[in-house]
Amino acid sequence: MSVWSFLKLTIFLWLLRKMIKACGWLLVAAVVVAAWPVTIVAAAGYGAAWLRGWPPARLARTAAWALIPAGIWTALQGARLHAWQPAVLGPARTWERSWSARSAVDLGRVFLLLAPVAVPAGLALGALAWAWRIYAISTGLGGIMATAPIRFDARQWRRQVRTAKGLTTAPGAVPLLARGGRIPVGGTIRAIGHRWHPVFALPYTACARHTVIVGATGSGKTNLMMRLWAGWFTAALADARAGKGDRPLLVVLDCKGGRDARVKADRTRRLLYGAGARRVAIWPDEARLSLWDLPPQDLAVLLYQMIDTGTGAAAYYADIMQAVVMLAVLAPGGPPLSTAGFLDRLDAGWLQAAWDPGRYPAEAKRVRGAARQLPDIQLRYATLLARLGPGLDGPGTLAEADAWYCILEGTKEPSVAEAQAMALTELTAHAATDLSAEPRAMLLAADDYSAVSGKVPLSNLYERGRSLGIGVQVSAQSWQGLGATEDERYRIAGTADGGIFVLHVPYPDALVAAAGKRRVLETAHKLIGRAWGDEGTTREQRAWTADPDIVRRLDVGQVCYIQRGAATFVQVARPRPSPLTLLPAPATPAPPPNWIPEPRHEPAPGPARWPDPAGLDDLFGHGGGRR
Amino acid sequence: MTPDPFEALGLPARPDLDDETVRAAWRAIAAATHPDRPDGGDLARYTAASAAYAELRTPWGRSEAYADLVQRAGHDSEPATGPLPPIADCDPRADGLPRHPLAAVLEFPARIRYGRPGHLLLRAVIAAALALVVLQLIPGTTAAPADITGVITWFVLTGRRDLAPPPER
Repeated sequence: MSVWSFLKLTIFLWLLRKMIKACGWLLVAAVVVAAWPVTIVAAAGYGAAWLRGWPPARLARTAAWALIPAGIWTALQGARLHAWQPAVLGPARTWERSWSARSAVDLGRVFLLLAPVAVPAGLALGALAWAWRIYAISTGLGGIMATAPIRFDARQWRRQVRTAKGLTTAPGAVPLLARGGRIPVGGTIRAIGHRWHPVFALPYTACARHTVIVGATGSGKTNLMMRLWAGWFTAALADARAGKGDRPLLVVLDCKGGRDARVKADRTRRLLYGAGARRVAIWPDEARLSLWDLPPQDLAVLLYQMIDTGTGAAAYYADIMQAVVMLAVLAPGGPPLSTAGFLDRLDAGWLQAAWDPGRYPAEAKRVRGAARQLPDIQLRYATLLARLGPGLDGPGTLAEADAWYCILEGTKEPSVAEAQAMALTELTAHAATDLSAEPRAMLLAADDYSAVSGKVPLSNLYERGRSLGIGVQVSAQSWQGLGATEDERYRIAGTADGGIFVLHVPYPDALVAAAGKRRVLETAHKLIGRAWGDEGTTREQRAWTADPDIVRRLDVGQVCYIQRGAATFVQVARPRPSPLTLLPAPATPAPPPNWIPEPRHEPAPGPARWPDPAGLDDLFGHGGGRR
Repeated sequence: MTPDPFEALGLPARPDLDDETVRAAWRAIAAATHPDRPDGGDLARYTAASAAYAELRTPWGRSEAYADLVQRAGHDSEPATGPLPPIADCDPRADGLPRHPLAAVLEFPARIRYGRPGHLLLRAVIAAALALVVLQLIPGTTAAPADITGVITWFVLTGRRDLAPPPER
């Protein structure tokens, strides 16, 4: 083959290729012009999706809604023409007539006549075109420049955020509770693996399981948590009112304390009042709980654990202290009813009087053995309980309010807050298992729990919650704040079956790893000189489902929700009760200012009361006592 | 504790005040107390009124401020703990309306008022204009009712966001 022949063949093949391509484009252009009403709607839908950052699913759903007018039109056509053929061919005839239209008004008339069919068809076509565009750009098949996928993604993110923000400002878009008992969180920015909805909403049962919230200070964690609390409370209360569930009880442990905690407590109370709560107690500022209501055995263990004990030689002293606490709490006549009562019992005289050597020789011997250490032990408990303050000295039980907002000064006094956290956790566990009280659906939320996790690690709290059937929601400022060891952190993240909320954090890699990876297509283009050639390869790759770089760049109020290997980015809406929910001021008479009830008084120590003869029936049966 | 913003503007503590009333109250106080006045004005009062206006300028802000006041009043007069009232009394509805299907309809004006009535009105105007165009251009055709249904569907689907949520939500 001569050079000239080769050149001719090459030029011929090039021209042929270009001509086929041009014919294809011409054909497309002809169809686009011919089906102009559909084209207009498709272009409008595509443009709106591009500008607002909508996913194709949004256009597809709009197309589905547009089938309502199409259905009405079909029904009317059928009723008017009494035959399906002319009814179906009606749009084609209208379209035919459109070519004789002379003015814009005529074209408008034709468009309106065809709209019932053209709108759903156009929107569906627009959704397809937009889906293809996203696919082509993200896989590297589309775009002029090599940077096209990056620029496209960044631009769409900005638009998605703008749309989601717009949605969160609409008063009715993100209420505290949506239909079907779902808790709306905010406007969806982007959903990867999850089903897309304009407003991201969690089923309220997710809150009744375990959730983890991680976000740096000022990232919008408080708003998110309040929204979840209020949503959960509203849904649980609605269920309880309908007789489908137990009355809700929310216990919030704000472990940082300070002025901010009081502001948050006030906001939470207002939200919960709006949701139907009748009493929201703020501990320890306005309400008290009684540590002494715990079952004696649990109380003794808790009191022992609240005191720091060393190891080695100190273990001997710890054993004595445990024995003394047991003797004091489990003394005949019942457990102590107040701090003062408990401290009174840490006295050799009191214990010897209570544990009568005639009836309890072993215990009396132990009291004698520990007599030398009793003043020291009493001093330690007096110091600890004085530092804990009157908040745990009663009266008051968790059952007496719809929600408790407990403020622990974890930043100012970590050791006190740790002891308080232990006591409150124990009281919550008791409330969950107390068979004599009204059963309650419970959610225990611990905000910045790492500040007080010294004595009760978060993983313990979590496992305790699971065993008691109460939902546990924990928040931390970072991955490291979730636990002391990597093993503990993974255990917490791994058991968060209600989902993990990640707000802006500098090191999100370990958290986003919970969402895993997804399969993506990566296209490599061959470069011709400096230009991007039309040859290359495409291969399957793995990419993070929740991109850690996006999480690092999240703005205030933006959150990535991770559950079941999928992720949704959400713009959290500020929680507000419905303005129609303005409770009238209660008509009860006002108590004196700063009213806090007095603690109960301890009965005087003495020998154990002999059981009531009637009570013996439980042990021996009727007449058993006489046998 | 935040002072009463309604009192700072000399307005009655009501959540249903309109934008104009609030703005007029603020303008009157601002004109009388502005520090640029020849008599030096009243800086403290001007600042308080400006802060109150910033809080009350939107319907949402007014409802929040009113809720604050109600909550404060309710909280001050209730003991911190005690036996809870029966669950049946925990109704978030403030107006005491019975749970009746008609209650949702009766709430509608309030939901419009506390939502975004301006946005809703704009949507209504657009929907009405489109419906008029349809009736003008293709009267008596089968497409006209279908088109108008489409317009109504759009109005309902988009306009519900501009309504305040019902009391139980």
